[in-house]
Amino acid sequence: MKRLSYAAFAVAFAALPLHAEELTVATAGDQNMVDYINQYLGPLFEKTYPGDTVRAVGTGPGDSGSQKILERFDAQSAANTKIWDVDVAVVHEKFVGPMVTKHYLDKYRSDIDTGKLVTRGNAKMALGTDVDGYVMPMFNSQTAIAYNPDLIKNPPKSYTELADWVKAHPKQFGYNGIKGGASGVSFVMGWIYAFGGGDANVLMNGPFKEDETKKWDAAFKGLNEFNKNATLTPGNAGTLDMLARGEIAMGPVWVDMFYSWQASGQLPPTMKLVLPAPGMPGQPMHYVIPEKTAHKALAEKFIALATSPKVQAEGIVKRFNWYPGIDADKVKAELDQATWDKLFVDITPKDLADKGKPFPIAPYNNAILEAYEKQVK
Amino acid sequence: MSGGSLFRRGETNHPLGTKSMSSKRLLGLLLVLPALLVIVVLFIIPLILSAVGAFKVDGAFGLGNFVKTFELYTQDIVFTLLITGLSTILIGAASVAIGGYLTLGEHPRAVAILKFLYRWPMFIPFIVVGQILRTFLAKNGMMNNVAIELGLTTPLDAVSLLDWRGIVIAFVWKQTPFVALLVSGAMASLNRDTIEAARNLGASRLRVLVEIIVPQVAMTLTVGLVLSFVTMMSVLSVPLMINAQSPTMLTADIAFRVNSYGDYGVANALGIVSLVLASSVAWIYLRASMKERA
Repeated sequence: MKRLSYAAFAVAFAALPLHAEELTVATAGDQNMVDYINQYLGPLFEKTYPGDTVRAVGTGPGDSGSQKILERFDAQSAANTKIWDVDVAVVHEKFVGPMVTKHYLDKYRSDIDTGKLVTRGNAKMALGTDVDGYVMPMFNSQTAIAYNPDLIKNPPKSYTELADWVKAHPKQFGYNGIKGGASGVSFVMGWIYAFGGGDANVLMNGPFKEDETKKWDAAFKGLNEFNKNATLTPGNAGTLDMLARGEIAMGPVWVDMFYSWQASGQLPPTMKLVLPAPGMPGQPMHYVIPEKTAHKALAEKFIALATSPKVQAEGIVKRFNWYPGIDADKVKAELDQATWDKLFVDITPKDLADKGKPFPIAPYNNAILEAYEKQVK
Repeated sequence: MSGGSLFRRGETNHPLGTKSMSSKRLLGLLLVLPALLVIVVLFIIPLILSAVGAFKVDGAFGLGNFVKTFELYTQDIVFTLLITGLSTILIGAASVAIGGYLTLGEHPRAVAILKFLYRWPMFIPFIVVGQILRTFLAKNGMMNNVAIELGLTTPLDAVSLLDWRGIVIAFVWKQTPFVALLVSGAMASLNRDTIEAARNLGASRLRVLVEIIVPQVAMTLTVGLVLSFVTMMSVLSVPLMINAQSPTMLTADIAFRVNSYGDYGVANALGIVSLVLASSVAWIYLRASMKERA
């Protein structure tokens, strides 16, 4: 008996160091994503599960960051690597589909408690690919038109009104084209939803049909005209910069960036947002777990913590002004009214439900971008 | 010429026999091998792979990527050539002016100040140049604000230079010091007799610069400009920061193809196009240097 308990102790001691695991989290996105994990989520996780550590790796802003993670998976898959070097990845919506189709990911959502709190449709379908169970949204992000109410009393409520407004006020509207960041891309997608001539729902949900892509000529012709009276800005931040300096009066922006810039004083507090009909796209960032991680249990714990109502309230909504990844009502319970109101002051939850659209499915997305390159000069 | 004479000297003066000669050669080859391997593995092979990739469309070989490249990006190819060409010309003019003043300047203090100042931009990375100019050249940026304060322009007339002009300004500002450094070095090592003689005969300083000095440093100037041209062709940060619109530089298009479409085929084709543009300039340089050696 005594010997047995010694043996048990020995086993326990031998197992102890094994518990001190290091979790590698690769994240696409700007530096603020890396900071979020390094400065907030990591320490919180290490406090909750003493002994384990979190290492965050930033792969760069925008789609290229997610592209790098996908390529990393491609490489490890091609090399038949037994254990992959990423335990948790944070990627853009567009890249989740290929990862699921290529069988890189673990179907983990039903394994964690917070999985039940996910309500939005974009956790089931990612730009036309069924990803149900493989992803947990970290947050939802939305684009909208920011404007200066000192100069514009009645902002355009729809794309049609916007087109007229721009004609009447040349160079006062600025956006960053399609090569300088996703807020410009989003504006163009919204333009096609509005004037594309086809059914916008087909663009968002599929199926992909070559015929559909032939219907956009008039829309791009209109956009070409529109661009003559618009100012082209250098990047997402470039649009905000120009708004702040008063060089333009209106432009498409990411809602979270807009609020963060206001909070840090880089943008006047008077600036406002409007979401024009029929709507503009937004997108979630997703947490995924590669199937060949060596720390599956720990990775699930990490994501469960990250998607818990408390962390979503404190980290996602309060710190970053992102819309929560899980059911907003569950998050609301953890927040004071003021913080909640701030997030929904210009764009109401109803606006968001009606006019917050997904991006088109990947083949339409690419076709629209390429048509823009071809037709808008 | 210098390489050739060294080699001859080694051969004729070497007291050792042929056997040790060949083992020595083998040793030399071994010593070069690591460097050669690095170049082959990290440079030559990826270059070949990317060249092959440019001709691959859906797994089969074809010219589809090039068709698409020229269909979508002809305007950008021309734009890239014009921007880089114009920048190269301006860099050449500015660096000859700087080198010329350093060589012919008559106020020692002004020469010393210029000598101290002109090199600074060389140490600033392109991305930082892009960032600085983004706020400096904007419509309500520092440059226009200063001009407005000085009464040189009015707020209504102020224009943003954040388009092709911004890219040219960034390139010229960043690359001039590099070429000026080479050129002024070459000018400083010239035999001053010809300069003094021309001055004594009454030639103006400008005439001395254009007719006596520049022809003698033409080779160095060409080298500097060719290197600058190739460097500017490959800069991504400046067009991205200042003007990622249409038309834009090829580097921004390559990044866009990869990041937005995951399309390496057309990106590789664009890469080949810019390689051809860059090497055509290198060819001019090689031909000139061959002529000089002959």
